[in-house]
Amino acid sequence: MGILNWFFRSGPDFQKLSAGGFTVDRHGNVLSSTVGPAFSRRRLRDIGCEVLLLFRAARAAQMPLTGLDLNFSGLHITAQETHGGAIIFLSPQNSRLAPPSPAGKDRP
Amino acid sequence: METRPKILVLDDDSDWLSVCSDFLTQLPSSPDIQTASSGTRALSLLDVQPFRVLLCDLKMPQMNGLEVLSIVRRRFPELRTVALTGFSDEEFRSRAYELGVDMFWMKADMQQDRQKFLDCIESLLIRNEGEFRAVQKKSLLDVIRMESALHNSSVLRITSGWKAAHIWIRNGQLIDAQVEGADGEAAFWRILKWNTSAFEILPAEPGHVQTITKSLEALLLESAQTMKKAEHPTPKQEEEETAFVTRLTAVTCEGADFVVTVPDKKGGAARGWGIRDADQLAAWARLAGETAQRLGRKLGAGPLTHIAGHNQERHLLSLPGKGRTFVIGWPREADPRHLFEQSKKLADTWAS
Repeated sequence: MGILNWFFRSGPDFQKLSAGGFTVDRHGNVLSSTVGPAFSRRRLRDIGCEVLLLFRAARAAQMPLTGLDLNFSGLHITAQETHGGAIIFLSPQNSRLAPPSPAGKDRP
Repeated sequence: METRPKILVLDDDSDWLSVCSDFLTQLPSSPDIQTASSGTRALSLLDVQPFRVLLCDLKMPQMNGLEVLSIVRRRFPELRTVALTGFSDEEFRSRAYELGVDMFWMKADMQQDRQKFLDCIESLLIRNEGEFRAVQKKSLLDVIRMESALHNSSVLRITSGWKAAHIWIRNGQLIDAQVEGADGEAAFWRILKWNTSAFEILPAEPGHVQTITKSLEALLLESAQTMKKAEHPTPKQEEEETAFVTRLTAVTCEGADFVVTVPDKKGGAARGWGIRDADQLAAWARLAGETAQRLGRKLGAGPLTHIAGHNQERHLLSLPGKGRTFVIGWPREADPRHLFEQSKKLADTWAS
């Protein structure tokens, strides 16, 4: 990994993003995750809360959504609503980003 | 060559579309029945196929029936239109008639009195095109002027859908008018609003009581002034209306359901094409944009390119642009892989 870090050290911040998915309950609590360790639980919770906020706001706007994609130049966040909570996938759009962690590694 | 007449049924309720289609298959002329669940879809079908009758629901969540009918009136003047509604609303009814619909039916009445409904639709389908329209295209005022100039005595029977009215002319002078709920001058004004009604000339009734004393010239002058105000908008209004229809046409041509433009400036008014209430969606788009930007900064994920959403009915795409965000609704069957590019293309037409 040391040599990879040397190659990536001049890259932008989003090189730290890692692919994977996680689920949150209706309160934004992370229930399970396959996202690499570069993402703290707190950060995943932040993402989950923002995504849930958008689902709720869409419902309030009479346009309830079951799926949502936030597309950034370096990352796609894909969310699917699940009984008040959500399942969220992070897909880095840069090949230099860290690979996903093995399934279950980051689970509580 | 058209062999089977085509009917287009527009309603956002898919169950109703199915019921209505089954219902219409009983028509003796065996029409080709097609359905559309949104106004934009209906307009795009009308663009490419020669429909004879449009059955249009008035209350729909995005582009409502009245908006569709107002576009249809301009773009497809030969199309017969039937307004359908699930609830009784006099304002909707009168607005629909002002837009020149041929008939107005409550959905409940239509189901209770099936045969009558089918007879009405059949009559719209089988009428002799040339003959009927030639009569219909003469305005009521034209006929009254003609009767007056010839000093005729007659009774004009005017029909608009199921509604009927009478105007009595004696020796070229208008002496009475009657319509359901009104008579005399009030009835005359009301009848004049039926600008696409059909009428026939009946024999005179010499003993009929005179209720209108104003001269025909005075009445016609007043009506001309009223109609001039109603039919000739100011150049600015006309320009705005043309721009609105042009953009709505662009939405339709691209296959989108609606477009909402949301100015970045707080307090700036959102505008919608093909959608009834743009403000709620605009509020969501602002919130979504701010939330996504905040999240993107926190994650170092780079600039936001777009936000996409979907539900069982449609895809939604929010596209940040210069000074404003475009929120574009697409039908569910649209291919999500191409929506970003298609949305950008549509947004570009606004800039041009």
